[in-house]
Amino acid sequence: MVDKVLSEQGAGSISTTAIRIRESGIERRARFRGLAEPLSLLVALAVLIGVFSLFNERFLTASNFQNVLTQSAIPLIVAVGATLVILLGSIDLSVEGVMGATGMTWILLSANSRGGGDLGPWAWVIALGVALVLGVASGLIFTALKVPSFIVTLGMWYVGLGIATMLYGTDLLPRLEDEGLKGWTSRISFGLPNSFWVALLVIGLGMFVLRSTRIGRVTLAIGNSETIVRSAGLPAFRVKVAVFAIAALLSGLGGILATVQLDIGSPTVGSGVLFIVIPAVVIGGTHLGGGKGGILRTVLGVFLLTILNNGLILSGVESSYQSAVTGAILVAAIVFAAWSQRDRLQVAK
Amino acid sequence: MNDVTTTPAVLRLDSVSKSFGSNRAVRGVSLNIHSGEVIGLIGENGAGKSTLLKILSGNYRHDEGTIAVNGQTIQFRGPADALRAGIGVVHQEQSLFTNLTVAENIEVNTPMGRGGVNRLGLYNWRRLYADAAKALDLIGSHLNPKTRVSDLSFVDRQMVEIARAIRVSAASHTTPLVILDEPTAILERTETAILEREISKLRDIGSVIFVSHRLDEVMRICDRVVVMRDGELIADRRVDDVTEEELFRLMVGRETHAAVRNRRSIEPTSSPVISIHDLTRAGSYADVSINAYPGRILAILGTSGSGRESVARAIFGAEGFDSGSVSIAGYSGRQLSIKHAVDLGVGYVPAERKTEGMVGGMPADENITLTHPGSAALGPFELPRRRLSLARMWFEKLDIRPREPEHMLQDFSGGNQQKVVLAKWLNSSNLKALVLDHPLRGLDPGAAETVNAQIRSVCDDGTAIILIPDTIDEALDIADDIVVMRDGRISGVFDLGHDNPATLDLLERML
Repeated sequence: MVDKVLSEQGAGSISTTAIRIRESGIERRARFRGLAEPLSLLVALAVLIGVFSLFNERFLTASNFQNVLTQSAIPLIVAVGATLVILLGSIDLSVEGVMGATGMTWILLSANSRGGGDLGPWAWVIALGVALVLGVASGLIFTALKVPSFIVTLGMWYVGLGIATMLYGTDLLPRLEDEGLKGWTSRISFGLPNSFWVALLVIGLGMFVLRSTRIGRVTLAIGNSETIVRSAGLPAFRVKVAVFAIAALLSGLGGILATVQLDIGSPTVGSGVLFIVIPAVVIGGTHLGGGKGGILRTVLGVFLLTILNNGLILSGVESSYQSAVTGAILVAAIVFAAWSQRDRLQVAK
Repeated sequence: MNDVTTTPAVLRLDSVSKSFGSNRAVRGVSLNIHSGEVIGLIGENGAGKSTLLKILSGNYRHDEGTIAVNGQTIQFRGPADALRAGIGVVHQEQSLFTNLTVAENIEVNTPMGRGGVNRLGLYNWRRLYADAAKALDLIGSHLNPKTRVSDLSFVDRQMVEIARAIRVSAASHTTPLVILDEPTAILERTETAILEREISKLRDIGSVIFVSHRLDEVMRICDRVVVMRDGELIADRRVDDVTEEELFRLMVGRETHAAVRNRRSIEPTSSPVISIHDLTRAGSYADVSINAYPGRILAILGTSGSGRESVARAIFGAEGFDSGSVSIAGYSGRQLSIKHAVDLGVGYVPAERKTEGMVGGMPADENITLTHPGSAALGPFELPRRRLSLARMWFEKLDIRPREPEHMLQDFSGGNQQKVVLAKWLNSSNLKALVLDHPLRGLDPGAAETVNAQIRSVCDDGTAIILIPDTIDEALDIADDIVVMRDGRISGVFDLGHDNPATLDLLERML
């Protein structure tokens, strides 16, 4: 009887306020946590820029700024796709292979030093078609055959690389002939390099997809709990394949731009991109387990790593040390970035 | 309670049966549910409740009998059909996307339009939020549809689940039937009170099937109680015509052992096994001092913000603290690791049994010898045969069923899993203290009773027990000492040897 009275009157109202108060605290903390992470990234970025500008006066110049933007453009484009894949809780390691296959297809079908057919805009369509096929293949094998994405895309990396090498054959180096395209990526329009404009467009589109489309929202849902996604009758299968396809398309686009930048066709045109893209996503704070994170964070991560590279070169770190230094700083950065998410009993695998 | 017998049945089951192979999980269940009714469904684990719920939610197809909704016979082909008929289930384990907004979670099941999503897959956020707000409004909740679910309390999340359950039928103007599968199983008392009030409100818009293990709760909120045992519906009573004891007897088929326990006062000579002094963790608890004595059960009461779970975890070394000390069996260090605590003879039964207490994909016998192998290992070498016979001994002693210790632990029922977790600690030759964090969570009354009996007998063997109980009654039932915590501080200490606090006293100190 006592309980009954309590539950109907006193206890109910008292505890409701108590819980409200507690909750607002939680909400405040959650909001703080949401801001704190990108904020700490911005601080890290500022510190990095500060330190490098002390070491070298050439670092903080307009031309180096444009240089950094050009360097970051291709990783940014690829990282947008990688973020989507990682939000699913999967991973895409095929990036460099897809870039190679797409870039090589594109240059061989465009005006190049080997001659052959110049298909103009169709070169783009066909080359991106190759990327799409690779992405859909990864996605289908991953979803339908339930093979971990790690393994599927690791294989697809070499499939892409193989396609590029086959197309390359033993002939002469295919060199870009179109004078208008040569150096297009680093040319400046409206104050920014062309390739960076493309990256901005991709970032904007990516954010829109994640924020306001079915694919984006279901991606987040899958990252949170695929079991619930399925029991709610949401199209998990289609979305997963679509996300791998989108990621491959963006890798392909990155491959074509990288080929333009390099001026020549090379199977390893994407070399080194994976090493920036995946850590950038993680440093940005997107969980490798999926469900949490976002594209803007990844953008900050890419900038952080590109500036790091650029600064190290300008500071005169010998190139033989460079990869060891970058690698070590990368590990440190990830430890730092993940520090706030630590949990005493957390298990890392 | 309104007179409902004159209104037509919203849901009518007529001798519904379902078999899995030779096992008849549900046998000839007949039931009428009217609009505005709250029905309590009770039964022990394995009584067929879950199977019946899965039939109603469209996850299973029944083999025999008929189901009629609003007078029309229906065969559900899937969960979507059940939803369309107005039946929404709120599962025991929450099924919300914690990283998405309240609105998206509520709208996830709405057909076609898919809640403000157009054919191209583009979201119309304004419509999404408005539709979700309408559903929330209907159940009298004032949650903001734009909030992310991870920022909500458990009770609020439960409200989101309820809103989702009624969303489809609200759109099609059918009377919703909400099935709540043990919604209060892991709630604190005060939160339960809030949820109970919300459930009562659902009477105005539809009807409710309320599954619970807590008989007092069922008696409070339901109009009618149906009891299942061995797949059959064996009783259908109005709550006015039945007592808690009677329901218990119907459920388990035997009498309760409401044993009155002789509580001992602290013997002046004995020294505490666990002694924590001025333990403080910023933002969680402050200046907590507790002594746990051998052969006594100390229960810590408090609401979910009281910090009692964190204190318990600090004792076991599973969470850190800022200042103060924990001393175990005379050893006092500032921060103990779990390994250290275990070596000193502390055991911990966590609230999250499935993730922290057991290795589900490992056989039960290996779970038992995992921490303290005892005679089942010779140095680094495991002795599988000895392990099995050791496990058989514990299975016998704790009455763990089925008596097949070589089976994967995940295949056992909740109560038996909990007993295996207990056995893991009891297998130590040096057990001095046990920290039990919600040991009865999710157990049916029969299983809870046997687990409780084990806790008592362990305690009688001279182990100190620190218990975080689910309810006040559980504490009064089993404890020798009760410590009450409020907002991270101790607000009351009772020695049940000579104090005799009423539920109200304890509740007052909790709030």
